[in-house]
Amino acid sequence: MTDTEKKLQDKAKELLEQGKVEHIIGYAAGSLKFTTTPLITKDKDDARQLVINPFIVNNLSVFLNDIKGKIGIVAKPCDARSIVSLLQDQQVARENLVILGLPCQGLIDLRKVERLTGKDRDDIDDITRNGDKVTVTTGGKTQKFAAKEVIFDDCLSCETPTPPEYDFLFGEPSSATDKELGRKNIKELEAMSPQQRWDFWKQEFSRCIRCYACRQVCPACFCTRCFIEETEPQWLSPLPRWQDNLLFQTTRMLHVAGRCTDCGECERVCPVNIPLRSISKKVEEIVDELFQYKAGMDKNAERFMTAYEPSEAEDLMR
Amino acid sequence: MSQESKWEPKLLGFLCKWCSYAGADLAGTSRKKYPANIRIVKIPCSGRIDPLFVAKALRMGFDGVLVSGCHPGDCHYQTGNYRARRRIAITKRLMEYMGIEPERLQASWVSASEGDKWAQVVTEVTKGVKEVGPNRLFDDDGHRKEAAGQS
Amino acid sequence: MKKIKKSDLNKLLSQWQQKYSVFAPSNHGVVKMTAWDGKDTTFLDWYRNTVVPPKNNFLPGMEKMFDIKKDAGYKLEVTADDTKQLIFGVRPCDARALALIDVNFKDGYEDTYYLNRRKNGLLVGLGCTSPCASCFCTSLNIHPAESQDVDVMFNDIGEELLIAEVTDKGKELLAASSGLSDATAADEAKAKEAKEATFKKVTRKINTGEIKERLMPSFENEEYWKNVAAKCVSCGICTFLCPTCYCFDINDEQSKGEAARFRNWDCCSFAVYTKMPMENPREEKWRRVRQKVNHKYNFFPMIYEQIACTGCGRCIRQCPVNWDITQVLSTLPEKAKA
Repeated sequence: MTDTEKKLQDKAKELLEQGKVEHIIGYAAGSLKFTTTPLITKDKDDARQLVINPFIVNNLSVFLNDIKGKIGIVAKPCDARSIVSLLQDQQVARENLVILGLPCQGLIDLRKVERLTGKDRDDIDDITRNGDKVTVTTGGKTQKFAAKEVIFDDCLSCETPTPPEYDFLFGEPSSATDKELGRKNIKELEAMSPQQRWDFWKQEFSRCIRCYACRQVCPACFCTRCFIEETEPQWLSPLPRWQDNLLFQTTRMLHVAGRCTDCGECERVCPVNIPLRSISKKVEEIVDELFQYKAGMDKNAERFMTAYEPSEAEDLMR
Repeated sequence: MSQESKWEPKLLGFLCKWCSYAGADLAGTSRKKYPANIRIVKIPCSGRIDPLFVAKALRMGFDGVLVSGCHPGDCHYQTGNYRARRRIAITKRLMEYMGIEPERLQASWVSASEGDKWAQVVTEVTKGVKEVGPNRLFDDDGHRKEAAGQS
Repeated sequence: MKKIKKSDLNKLLSQWQQKYSVFAPSNHGVVKMTAWDGKDTTFLDWYRNTVVPPKNNFLPGMEKMFDIKKDAGYKLEVTADDTKQLIFGVRPCDARALALIDVNFKDGYEDTYYLNRRKNGLLVGLGCTSPCASCFCTSLNIHPAESQDVDVMFNDIGEELLIAEVTDKGKELLAASSGLSDATAADEAKAKEAKEATFKKVTRKINTGEIKERLMPSFENEEYWKNVAAKCVSCGICTFLCPTCYCFDINDEQSKGEAARFRNWDCCSFAVYTKMPMENPREEKWRRVRQKVNHKYNFFPMIYEQIACTGCGRCIRQCPVNWDITQVLSTLPEKAKA
């Protein structure tokens, strides 16, 4: 246990003991190597299960809608941005939250580690991070990688190493970002012809199985009934055809425009590896470029979808 | 090829009932001539527009979508048209990124008194979409490539 | 018993391809059974198991059930898929899973769509050599490297693959195949040793006896189920990727002059599950989670005397929140009174 973990556990315990919160949402060790799992508890003794490590991947703000009462929530910067966005949308009330902020230096993407080492995660013995270096041990052999090579793309693009909103902060901010590297996939797509891009997406979405994990883990997707499940009218088919899969996802991405904080969860959880962040990040860029808006930075800011400037974007209007 | 040259685009228009819909009516009663390629859906405000409508229209095989609402400052509900404009702007840009011709989504401000403008907008949009070609985005069998070669 | 050099496997699959649609593991974005490309057998080096289970080949994610066309006088044309599929590389857990799905689709009403594909299909098993950390097949009486649920079984013995016929269909397949040599007693000994080694590599365990005693008494413990369900995000990964889950939804589509009926996978974790016929009786998440666990470990065994889980571990490894069914099953709070 690190000092920071200890401080977090003590604070979580104290909050529960003093009745300042009814629930704590944080991360506990997972049941497989290099995984963590959301810990949602009312029990002060569970606080000692809380962990902080480079594998705390989940965006826990997705659980806020589920749980009634005062909540103490552990939040990385991108999760904190999602919380801010939920505050703007009045999905949660600030006074019901105690945000236990964690500065973040980027999380380790197991798929990247697997690709670089050629080993399955089960066969890797250890992955440790030390500043800018990540050491992977497999069968007694160690390999060193630059952190930039193995952290998630969305972490490479991260602009907020410290949460924009918190009550308590645990740890020191540091970051190993590389914006160009973080949008490598997008750059490749931009260099293609429209026909090539369409063919690319057609192929990617032909794998989709419609498990809706992308939607379920998305804190910005808080509708009680999703358009894709509407039957009267049936907007798009619930059958997993590439055409409808593609339109479902692009529509979903547009629906969360200005609320998506590039936490990258949709891409991480996709069981068939569709590069969804190549869409969500692009939408984020479009929103920023056209309307100079970044999601989840300021809880008092007007929401992207309701804000306007009378003279903006007039060039596209006839 | 002969089939292709006879092709006429099918357009779907989403028109605000307070302005553009009345504008289109005026174009009709004033006997303005404009292409018969457009089918109109009346919506309560251009702010009702959802990227989903565009997705659905393209999926159904429409070659283009036109959204039309009140001029800035004239929205019956104060800000609906501004919100629509943001949505349309990002939708167009994302369409382009996905590989869909952004010209298939068009937007205009047409007031209830602008029958002339309505006729002109539909004429221009029809011409524009005709240049882009038929919507074969969702064909499974690669027809789109042939079409692209022909246009 | 027969054997074949690994480097000759492509020749054998090519032979089979003359008569069957051969499917083998591939990784085009995701590991699943896809139509074999006629040459590539490198999967032998990297393949552990597919992410999308082979149930997809028999109960596909979507399938057309029938057409009605105006031009054909509104006659209903039932879709018949008579493809002769040969799936190479099926793991014992997934082969058992298909046997479990068979039970459901044969009981009472015979589902011709699924059963036809099964009847026309051949399963060629491939014993595991490196089970995943999430695997717990051995707790469910499944050997990771042996199977009676396939037609032919292959086992890795180093440079070669040992081949055993399991069913009559498998026997016929092998009798009509050339290029196989006879296995020696030494080969069989090698295989036995390898199988035992693999068996020991499955370290995740559950206690099915204990579960049986505890599951029903724990059913009404709302507090418990609410707790374990808290972190579930109600996505469809665990059920869609489950080799034994068979729920489906039905959708009709119509266009000018024609209509068709389709079915696609459905998932009891979804809030809109069974919304179409009436309402979802399990509106709250904890009821859905309870249902999923109980269906596999309680209700299905009540009717068919088998647990509807084969310990393939996909639901653990692929879960976005690491919701681990083995942990849930080992913490059931209540026990039946003696």
